[in-house]
Amino acid sequence: MANTVIGSSIVIDGEISGEEAITILGTVKGKVAVAQGVVIEAGATVEADIEGQTVTVSGKVTGNVTAREKLELRPESKMVGNAKAPRIVVADGASFKGNVDMDV
Amino acid sequence: MASEDPCFIGSKTTVRGQVSGKQDLVVEGRIEGHIRLESHLTVEESATVEADIEATIATLKGEVRGPVVATRSAVLEATARVAGKVSAPSITIVDGARFSGEIEMDVELPAGVVAGNA
Repeated sequence: MANTVIGSSIVIDGEISGEEAITILGTVKGKVAVAQGVVIEAGATVEADIEGQTVTVSGKVTGNVTAREKLELRPESKMVGNAKAPRIVVADGASFKGNVDMDV
Repeated sequence: MASEDPCFIGSKTTVRGQVSGKQDLVVEGRIEGHIRLESHLTVEESATVEADIEATIATLKGEVRGPVVATRSAVLEATARVAGKVSAPSITIVDGARFSGEIEMDVELPAGVVAGNA
């Protein structure tokens, strides 16, 4: 297991950066910037700007999200903030408030 | 259930700031700041942690700078490189570990024995 996992009872207040994929089940406040994928699982709360290759949201996000490849908001997700990615998928049931920038 | 899922900071990940929680944390990457856990912290051989550390049990195998307070026990494994003060009721330093700093075990001395008169 090489990826980073932030467990459900863990709270991180600060900045997470790195070259590998990250899965968040807990709470992160601040900033997340990684070179690989970011997965925000159901039950997770992220109050941070997020930057990743792909960003998949099933939990709650407050902040601006930049995905270099694809942003996906899953059915149970809640997101408030601006989304920037060449491909953005918003599933039926997802709640989202913010601007979308697909770099058209 | 909360303590069942793993928490893991991979070798290519850096966390700056405060990390707190109630589940076991394994660090292979880098943490700078504060760590406050009501659980077991493991700092792997590849990890670098520059932080004020509080945990129930601290198992140190990598590089650690900063005060470490473990409410139950602290173990400096053979590969550990630790600088700072380590406080715990039980502290183990394995042969090969490198450590510079202070150890505090909060020993209850028997009546009549004064600290420093070892």
